[in-house]
Amino acid sequence: MAIAKAERLMNLALCLLGARRPLSKRELRGSVEAYLEAGSDDSFNRMFERDKDDLRELGLVIDTVENLDGEVGYLARRDSNRLPPITLDAEEAAALGLAAKVWQQARLAGAASGALQKLRAAGLPEDVDPYEAHGALEPRIPVHEAAFEPLMLACRDRRPVLFEYRKASAAHPEPRHVEPWALECWRGHWYLAGFDRDRGAERVFRLSRITGRVRSRGTGFTVPVPDVVTVRETVASWAGEIADRSALIRLRAGSGYPLRAKATEVRELGDGWDELEIPYGHGLDAWLVEFGPDVVVLEPAELRADVVDRLRAVAKG
Amino acid sequence: MAGKPVRPVNAIDQTRRMLSLVTYLRERPGARIADVARAFGITEDELVSDLDLLPMCGTSFRGGDLLDIDTDGERIWWHNPAALGEEAAEPLRLAADEATALLVAARAVATLPGLREGDRQALLRATAKVEAAAGETAGASSRLSVTFESEGGVFADVDRAISERRRLWIRYYSPARDEVTEREIDPIRLVSVGHTYVEAWCRRSEARRTFRLDRVAEIRILDEPSAPPEIELRDLSEALVQPAAEDPEVVVEVGPGGRWVAEYYPHDSADELPDGGLRITLRTPDPASLRRLALRLGADGRIVSPPELAESARRAAGEALAAYAE
Repeated sequence: MAIAKAERLMNLALCLLGARRPLSKRELRGSVEAYLEAGSDDSFNRMFERDKDDLRELGLVIDTVENLDGEVGYLARRDSNRLPPITLDAEEAAALGLAAKVWQQARLAGAASGALQKLRAAGLPEDVDPYEAHGALEPRIPVHEAAFEPLMLACRDRRPVLFEYRKASAAHPEPRHVEPWALECWRGHWYLAGFDRDRGAERVFRLSRITGRVRSRGTGFTVPVPDVVTVRETVASWAGEIADRSALIRLRAGSGYPLRAKATEVRELGDGWDELEIPYGHGLDAWLVEFGPDVVVLEPAELRADVVDRLRAVAKG
Repeated sequence: MAGKPVRPVNAIDQTRRMLSLVTYLRERPGARIADVARAFGITEDELVSDLDLLPMCGTSFRGGDLLDIDTDGERIWWHNPAALGEEAAEPLRLAADEATALLVAARAVATLPGLREGDRQALLRATAKVEAAAGETAGASSRLSVTFESEGGVFADVDRAISERRRLWIRYYSPARDEVTEREIDPIRLVSVGHTYVEAWCRRSEARRTFRLDRVAEIRILDEPSAPPEIELRDLSEALVQPAAEDPEVVVEVGPGGRWVAEYYPHDSADELPDGGLRITLRTPDPASLRRLALRLGADGRIVSPPELAESARRAAGEALAAYAE
């Protein structure tokens, strides 16, 4: 039976961590049983390179050292691999325990558990989750978008990417070349901020509108990454959260609670209608139309006209 | 609590876990399987599969270098802890992805409005310590951020009601009917997935219901004890509100400007149309509630079926237009 990959990785890690001097590939091949069984030099070399990458992915710092004879040796030095001292009390441990459970994305869920396990090995107190003991709080970070993982890695490694993107009301997707800066999740949806090479400016993309695969474009970034990337402000303005004007509407008494909750002023008209002043930002027309005959827009004229247009489109069927 | 989800075996996750496990076990001769599994957040079966693998691992496969670890099914014994040098058994530094996963999640939870202040402070202290221990690898975590939306006051009341096991009275807005109704609910848990919800047993409908906190117009903690029936909690990787198989079907055709419908409404199918639009089939217990959607779509889409729903949207738009006729 083939030797399990976890067993092979574990053996390579222990060899490198236990070595007091750099070990050559030959020595490593002689110490890890799976490598002896690898057959040809070629398949061993491929396996060894992949394994080193995997160990680096889980945090191992592996140094490559050349000896006097020009032979390359490998070693995981203790001082660069040791977790610095960290002392967490029971409350802090419980807080991290809660945080480690929130990712619903396989790679980050595995990484969060791995972090907690390393801290556990370093003496993190074992305590119960405070919200499991006397309540129940379950925060979850949803990740449904296939583009998430490749973009996360591209942001981390500062690699430009190319993907097909369908703008909100576009019939067809278009290729976009982007230097990815940061990913942000708001109201359960993921967004990417970055430098759009074709447009020569910063842009925000919604991950669910990326179609097909995210491909890497080798060359590095051409524009410096800003210290502060503001994704949420941009998205909030799309969502009409940023209102710079106000509108006056009539609302049937007893209806439209969310409009009332947002209103800056409510006047009862007494004839079964109320008059409300509400913030007016992008998208308000579409929202008001949802209330059908329970809302009448009074001012401004522009909003009134937009709402009438939309109603006509629906009435026409 | 729902059982732990069964995870597929991932060699990288298992290796990282075993590296921590040897450090942990070295300090604790005779550790109990149940305790170790809990400390590592894994099932006992997962731990046993690690324990099966560890005796094949060591600094080399020759001589006495292999780890002599075994278990009697209850406790774990390591007969040659010296096989792993003092140094090789030290806790390992955090990888960039590990620091990112933990820090981003901890920061996100700390932003939850309504979280108990003591817990928020503990999260912030822990975050600072982990940042310090992670060193420069913590830097990558600034590339990801997550915000949970919640209504602080409502959250705090629901949290208190759950921990004190008390019933809640709420006035709740239902967008489907555009109405605010009063109900008494027995809260079970708070769930944040973008927005924050309380999952509860609704005493009015005698059924499990999920309420979004920003739609709670008013809330009071009652003196009556909360007594939700024992129900199986749903897996949160699924959408919170799942249509039932017997719910009536609604078909909506949207143009390119209405493609967002497929992102916001759980649906059975979304087929591409030649003009760049979609034909979306979804199910809902109450098709009348989708009149709002039909009105909102305007020129960007239309209800194909049921015809009554399309007609009610047309009628509502006609009535609304009458008010602008003068």
